[in-house]
Amino acid sequence: MAEVEAKYRKKRLDRGIKARADTIFAIASYKEILYLVLPRALPVILLLALPLVLTGYWGKVLVYACVYGLLALSWDFLASCGLFSLGQAFFLGIGAYIAGTLSYYFHWPPVITLPIATIGGGVISAALLSPVVRLRGVYFAMVTLMLPMLFMKMIETTGIFGGTHGLSALKPLAKGWGGTYLVIGVFLVSLFIFRRIINEDYGLVLRAIRDDDRAVMSAAINIYWRKIQALFVAGAVGAFAGAFMTHHYQFVGMSVFALDYSILPVAAAALGGPGTFAGAALGSMILVPLSEALRALSGLRIAIYCVIMILSVIALPEGIFHYIERKYHQFERLVRVG
Amino acid sequence: MSLLIYGTITSIILALYTVGFSLTYGISGLANFAHGALYILTGYSVFSFLNQLGLPYFLSAPLSVVIIGFLGFVLYWGLLLRVRGVPLAELIVTFAAGVAILELLMWKGFYGIQYSLPLFVRGGVKLGGVAVDYQRLFVVGTGMVLVVLLYLFVHYTKIGLAFRGMAQNERTALSVGIESDWIGSLSLAVGSALAAVAAVVVLPLGMMESAIGYEVLIYALAVAIIGGLESTPGMIVGSFIVGFGQVATARYIGPKWMIIVPLAAIIFVLVIRPSGLFGKFKELEERI
Amino acid sequence: MVRGGQKVYRKHVRGGDCMRKRIFLMVLCIGIIMSFVITSSPLVFGQTKPAQPAKPAPAAKPEPAKPAQPAKPIIIGVPTSLYTPFGRNGLKAVNLAVEEVNAKGGVLVGKEKRPFKVVVTDTRDGEPATPTHDALMAYEKLILEQKPHAVLVAPFRSEALIASMDLVAKYKIPQLGTIAQTPAFQRQFKTDPEKYKYLFRVTTDATVPGMYLSRALDLLKKDFKLDSIYILYQDTLWAQAFAGVVRKHGQETGWKEVGYDAYAAGASDFSPGLTKAKEGKAQVIAMMWDVPLGAGIFAKQYVAMQVPSLLIGFIPPIAAPEAVKTVGPEVEYSLSVEFPVGASLPLKKLPKTGEFLSKFKKKYGTLPEAPAVNSSAYDSVFILAQAIERAGSLDADKLVAALEQTDYKGVSGRIRINKEQHTAIFGDKDPNETGVAVVFQWQKDKMGNLVRVPIYPDFVAEGKILLPPWMK
Repeated sequence: MAEVEAKYRKKRLDRGIKARADTIFAIASYKEILYLVLPRALPVILLLALPLVLTGYWGKVLVYACVYGLLALSWDFLASCGLFSLGQAFFLGIGAYIAGTLSYYFHWPPVITLPIATIGGGVISAALLSPVVRLRGVYFAMVTLMLPMLFMKMIETTGIFGGTHGLSALKPLAKGWGGTYLVIGVFLVSLFIFRRIINEDYGLVLRAIRDDDRAVMSAAINIYWRKIQALFVAGAVGAFAGAFMTHHYQFVGMSVFALDYSILPVAAAALGGPGTFAGAALGSMILVPLSEALRALSGLRIAIYCVIMILSVIALPEGIFHYIERKYHQFERLVRVG
Repeated sequence: MSLLIYGTITSIILALYTVGFSLTYGISGLANFAHGALYILTGYSVFSFLNQLGLPYFLSAPLSVVIIGFLGFVLYWGLLLRVRGVPLAELIVTFAAGVAILELLMWKGFYGIQYSLPLFVRGGVKLGGVAVDYQRLFVVGTGMVLVVLLYLFVHYTKIGLAFRGMAQNERTALSVGIESDWIGSLSLAVGSALAAVAAVVVLPLGMMESAIGYEVLIYALAVAIIGGLESTPGMIVGSFIVGFGQVATARYIGPKWMIIVPLAAIIFVLVIRPSGLFGKFKELEERI
Repeated sequence: MVRGGQKVYRKHVRGGDCMRKRIFLMVLCIGIIMSFVITSSPLVFGQTKPAQPAKPAPAAKPEPAKPAQPAKPIIIGVPTSLYTPFGRNGLKAVNLAVEEVNAKGGVLVGKEKRPFKVVVTDTRDGEPATPTHDALMAYEKLILEQKPHAVLVAPFRSEALIASMDLVAKYKIPQLGTIAQTPAFQRQFKTDPEKYKYLFRVTTDATVPGMYLSRALDLLKKDFKLDSIYILYQDTLWAQAFAGVVRKHGQETGWKEVGYDAYAAGASDFSPGLTKAKEGKAQVIAMMWDVPLGAGIFAKQYVAMQVPSLLIGFIPPIAAPEAVKTVGPEVEYSLSVEFPVGASLPLKKLPKTGEFLSKFKKKYGTLPEAPAVNSSAYDSVFILAQAIERAGSLDADKLVAALEQTDYKGVSGRIRINKEQHTAIFGDKDPNETGVAVVFQWQKDKMGNLVRVPIYPDFVAEGKILLPPWMK
């Protein structure tokens, strides 16, 4: 690159309304309130209203998008802690199989299996991943990549839990919109809880672990225990998604550990903006309907996710969400220099 | 006896898979998760040259190796260079690139019995009562040659030492004049070319399919991790452990458990001794 | 990173950042173009999906023969995995049959003749990385958007087939499966016949080739006094059932079993098994596999290890017409079972198979790939057409009742439905009574070329089993 003297620079200023809506002045007038509330309320209203509008196939896609959204949120939570997981399918699969086996062998209704699967899934994932927590990030990624494959092969080889055929004809969730609203509700609640937590003290410690773990260790905080807690939370969210899916489709099979479930959350988070949970949610809301629309291209879909992922990581590392957020709060101008 | 011979052959095949990966990851510190994809892409390229363009074997094979090496170079220059320094971004990017390539091939219909490369030479010999075909002997020969070459290259040539320098401490390497961009791309190019050579000799033994790409990546990871990342003797030992482990499992426990061996081995090693058997990066154990 | 230090001197004009991105994108494009230069080719590249990349629009036949066709078409859904040869060829066979039916004016529904229209969706369940839920979504999308009146071929993966049974029962659409061979289908069906009555299977299930192989083993024992066998099979339910039948028969008729091993479906190394067979001096190796990867590797390893055993079973690369080219001349003397007849081998004594295969070749330029259960897919269209005409309507329940009465003489034999299980009846006595399969052997003909010679059952046999010279 030639050494050229800069003629222009980008000047970014907060919008007037942002400055006016600071602290207590937020309630000064309806405009400020709207400015602050709208970006939070809009997705909630949209998601709550969509099931009424979308029926049939696209209603199912919405549910699917929320499931993937939960996985993306869980990925993002782990990433905020410095744990980079390439195996979201693992959490999904554990939850799915717990719910599936309880429902198949004991005939328990979803009301009981869902909570058990969520908590149990969290506990099992944290337990299985805890030995790896002290290793370098890359190794954690590798282990999470291997674990779903290992489980898939184990189930295939030993034939337990239905083996290659899976368990079918399980109990469905409540008829009609019960299932849809359940998953949308959990999705929204997780999104808001995660966004809140990450800015509280607890989340601060987690982020500090990602940035500089030695500093946190020297503050006499047991980082390994915190990481295991993070794994529990993320695992529980993923397990819920899995258990929900099992009951929604009334079927669980070893393909629940498929690579697809690991790649899409990462792509969604990379696209939307890692670190902000809203980005992960946004990313999955974009990618899943896109992939359904692209179903005609069959196998090319995954290639396209990967290309999107690469482009996002390289060209737009901050993600779409940050970009939107910045545009919402600030405006830019080119100003002549000198 | 046949257990010994076939165990050895399997181990050397695994070592061949790993040589390219170990060069880039263990030695230069660049995670190349597109390794398996490049492997299969080589097979595809040789197949296309053979069947579409009608080139003879001895031309299409080296040509494919060169092309894949160049692709590795482009991969670094185009993708990895942009994300150097961002933690784990290299991993995502190469992994995504690898998956994209494999899925693209699958989409093009790369599935079926017609996708197989012919053997170099037909026929075989008998070693101690066990029939071994020439192709496998060729594989063993190539494997041994490559491993020895790798060791010599990395320890005694300027470029090889530059590779290692870059992994150890990039700033210092820069200050002695090792240009990390160029060396990095060379490293990835050579690593991919090695994967291509492995593909050219090993693929005629069986069929070609995208699923093999994932498998090769897992085996390469397993061997590299078990043996310890930047150590060549470690790689050899690792490949023998996994190779014989698989063959013995098939013989004494049951063949359907074969596929579990490398996966379980990776997890086991990472938990017990993360730097691998011969690894020198002890920091891994404490570092996160 | 040293690079960061340079940033200050870069152009900060709008174009600055864009320039970097542009270069990056250019290099990325070069890389992608490189791979496309290698991979794509205007020349015919094998049998990649030509015009079929599943658009849910009618990939089927244009109907120019009847331009202003006022009658609403009868919609046939084909949700299957187009990645696998089974799915691809099943679709091609269906399209071929639909073309024939439409050429005759269509199907008589009540009083009017209506043509068939095929809508396809790729469920991708043949690809190992696809979750079954994904396949079900694709299937459901087909049902909800295209509203087919009946479904043919059906998913490839057994797991997906069983899972789809609930889906089909929910939407009440008759489904005629022509690929998946798993006996779990009957098991599931029997749990609630009334709910699952919409599901049928008009092809074989795994026990049929098992029975045929057993008879072939009898012939081997009778003619050549062979008695030691090694059985190797894919670790899936259908292959387990298949192998189980053969094993039981072997035990009952005095075969010495050198080994009975299951290999994982993704296995890529069979040397332990082949070594076992060799050391145990097995005279016959029975092998059942459907995915090309494992079967191909097995075939090559069998040749490489020079195992002195007779190969018998269902190994697609060895059964394929181009086996001599892909595996080598060592396929001579190997025995394969093709189920049902007409899948890829034309039989002189069953002219319908020859007709079907030459029609297929004329339309698509090549014979169906092996393995293939194409003849069932082809027949299923006519079975459906007849059932519709019998029922006189497209109402699902009436159609189901009519399908149960199926009695159709097609390429795969005479197809009748076993009402207790909703599967087609296959046997080995008479093609005019049941559906049939065939066992053939690669033999050298008078001119020294290797051809596939059917040797069992008698009503299609064109030759007798030959024993390899190295076994005498």
